[in-house]
Amino acid sequence: MNKPEEQTSEQSQSFLRWFRVAIVIGLVVFLGNSIFQNATTADADRPFKLGLDLAGGSHLVYVADTTGVDPQEVPELMNVLRDVIERRVNIFGVSEPIVQVESSSFVSENPTERLVVELPGVTDVSDAVAEIGRTPLLEFKLFSEELASEQEALSGLTTLASTSTTTVDEAGNLNIDSEVVVDTEERLPFVDTGLTGRYLETARMEFAGSNSGQLSNEPIISVKFTPEGSDLFTEITRENVGKQLGIFLDGELISAPVINEPITGGTAIISGSFGLEEARSLAQNLSFGALPLPIELQSTQTIGASLGAEVLEHGIKAGVFGLSLVIMFMLLWYRLPGLVASISLLAYVTIMLGLFQWIPVTLTAAGLAGFVISLGMAVDANVLVFERMKEEYRNGATSREAATVGFSRAWSAIRDGNITSLLSAIILFWFGTSLVKGFALVFGMGILVSMFSALVITRTFLIALPEIRQGDGTLLAKLFNNGLNSGRKVTSTDKINS
Amino acid sequence: MLSSIIIVSVLGLNLGIDFTGGSLTEVVYDTVPEKEQVENTLTEAGFVGFSVRESVDDAGREAYIIRTKDLTEEERGTINEAVLGIGEAGEVTRFTSIGPVIGQELRDKAGWAIFGVVSIIVLYVAFAFAGIGTPISSWVYGGTTILVLIHDVLVPTALMSILGFALGLEVDVLFVMAILAVLGYSVNDTIVVFDRVRENLKANRTEHKTQSTEAGIIKEEVTYTLNKPYEEIVGSAVQETLARSINTSITTMVTLLALFFIGGSLTQAFSLVLLAGVLAGTYSSICIASPLVVTYAAWKRKREDEILNN
Repeated sequence: MNKPEEQTSEQSQSFLRWFRVAIVIGLVVFLGNSIFQNATTADADRPFKLGLDLAGGSHLVYVADTTGVDPQEVPELMNVLRDVIERRVNIFGVSEPIVQVESSSFVSENPTERLVVELPGVTDVSDAVAEIGRTPLLEFKLFSEELASEQEALSGLTTLASTSTTTVDEAGNLNIDSEVVVDTEERLPFVDTGLTGRYLETARMEFAGSNSGQLSNEPIISVKFTPEGSDLFTEITRENVGKQLGIFLDGELISAPVINEPITGGTAIISGSFGLEEARSLAQNLSFGALPLPIELQSTQTIGASLGAEVLEHGIKAGVFGLSLVIMFMLLWYRLPGLVASISLLAYVTIMLGLFQWIPVTLTAAGLAGFVISLGMAVDANVLVFERMKEEYRNGATSREAATVGFSRAWSAIRDGNITSLLSAIILFWFGTSLVKGFALVFGMGILVSMFSALVITRTFLIALPEIRQGDGTLLAKLFNNGLNSGRKVTSTDKINS
Repeated sequence: MLSSIIIVSVLGLNLGIDFTGGSLTEVVYDTVPEKEQVENTLTEAGFVGFSVRESVDDAGREAYIIRTKDLTEEERGTINEAVLGIGEAGEVTRFTSIGPVIGQELRDKAGWAIFGVVSIIVLYVAFAFAGIGTPISSWVYGGTTILVLIHDVLVPTALMSILGFALGLEVDVLFVMAILAVLGYSVNDTIVVFDRVRENLKANRTEHKTQSTEAGIIKEEVTYTLNKPYEEIVGSAVQETLARSINTSITTMVTLLALFFIGGSLTQAFSLVLLAGVLAGTYSSICIASPLVVTYAAWKRKREDEILNN
């Protein structure tokens, strides 16, 4: 009696099933296209990020000497150190350098703090090493009138000497004079005070009047010394009121403020007619005048760009080849369900590649290898389900019933197997060095995405297929039968036995 | 398994500079100089205790791989100058120097990572199979999984040991990753079989409920008896999962073979180790894990009988 209604509901259900399939296909194609665009466009927002072993470049590991430093201060100091090195590397003009702090984990006997510097594209590290290892020297020096007048006298000699040299070429005395001339040109009339960047705690840019409530926008530099440095600074300023205190960075005079009064309390204000930018950079230079911790180069790794490109090319080839082999196997063995599994494997590849771009995951040779292998393992959930379906189907269930039961029966195995693998991936990620981390990330993502592709995509497709029974004569049914019976004829005695 | 242990303990493993510290320089030439010439140049430059090995890079060009202790920046420069001064169109394509401290730490980390993975697996298996109860406790499944894992790791390690002995192949970080991937694969394989055992046990047991009242509290005790011998249940579980085990190892192995033959030299040893591991994993989940639980169950029953008889 209700036949027409049943038919329409059956029709709309079937429509709904195919609609889901269309959505899945549409999403995968869309994702695939955007990945392709990102990978092939030169200035894409999210290109694939290649690790140093694929792109070529240098990987430097520095170890920081933390002896004599309060362990609680170490993380803070390491962060400052990272900022300094990052700045220096940036000056060097490397595109997308990575500078990160790496602590040796608790399993190590002697905990050490490291700084990992990655320079993509740089294969001759000597310049970079020199730039990173540079220790800018911050010095406070006092202006000395004696020295100034002495130098003035010497500069008088300069003209004398230079004229002398033109007339008497080989006179030994004059040669010595000319050396002095060179010397005065380099050295400014300042004398050492013993106060260096070693005694500096912080330097900040502030605005004059921000503390006293006066309206003034003149940028000033607020310097804070360590207790030791504070004592030294007090002493220097007490004895030299009215004199100029020269601040030198790497031997270059950057500022020479006048000491107005003895300064106690360990903080000093450097005022001058600074511009905003000038003040900011001065504060930074002062803060980073010296590295907070001494560092030593512990390991270097350089990979030529051509070698990296070859590794990448081979990896991609192996991936494409492996993928085709797996698809071929699935099609031969499972026929129609195999086709479904292949589609969901392609979806797996697409989603993984999309994640690589979006997270982004830095791809290394190991990560690439892991991904290629995961192609073979990703179909495992499909295989589990198909084997279960096979049993149900042989026992006389229709294709759709078999699929539903197959999924629910295989679920516990899929769940337990994947959770243990996922736990392994998490531990790997937790323990590992950067190289192992990349592999663990690919491994873990592969597990989650393969579960998704089997449980959602394969399922959607299998359920959307028209109902098939054993013995149906259609082509589709034959393909389905072939796959799930794998050459075994179902006879009536078989049915009775099972 | 025993032979694997013997192989590893006799031949040992050829630890690479990742673990021991040291340096590796790969220099590629259009026209290679004689090996002796390279060695002489290095000796002249003041290096001692180095080794020079002939090699071919991925593009088929002839190359030398030079190993020394870990090098400072200046020493690196000296080596570069020395090897580029000879031969034609020399190019240093790879340089690695690893301090001994990092090497030691990596070794520790690798050990801890493997230990951590194994412990978490046994805990999870014991937890996931809790309530399986009859006739053996879920911890036995967990313990068996561990034994199987040890087997699966030993086989590729022994292979690596042989390769190290015969071809000078070195154990590097990639090897550790391969081992960890083998762990993941193997446990998955074993769990699939045990999952089927669990399901078959549930389908083939009869529940007995006994109620007793003790001091006003009603206690309910549930015990199970199996309708079929345990061996038979395990046996059919193995049979039912056989097709899946074989198919998954085939798909995994074809990708590994692709990686081995066309994936380039860097990951060749890696894929070989994995191949051995996957083979061992498939074999062990079928032929080791199940007999072990059956043997244990038989032993336990025998002991219980003895206790009853006494």
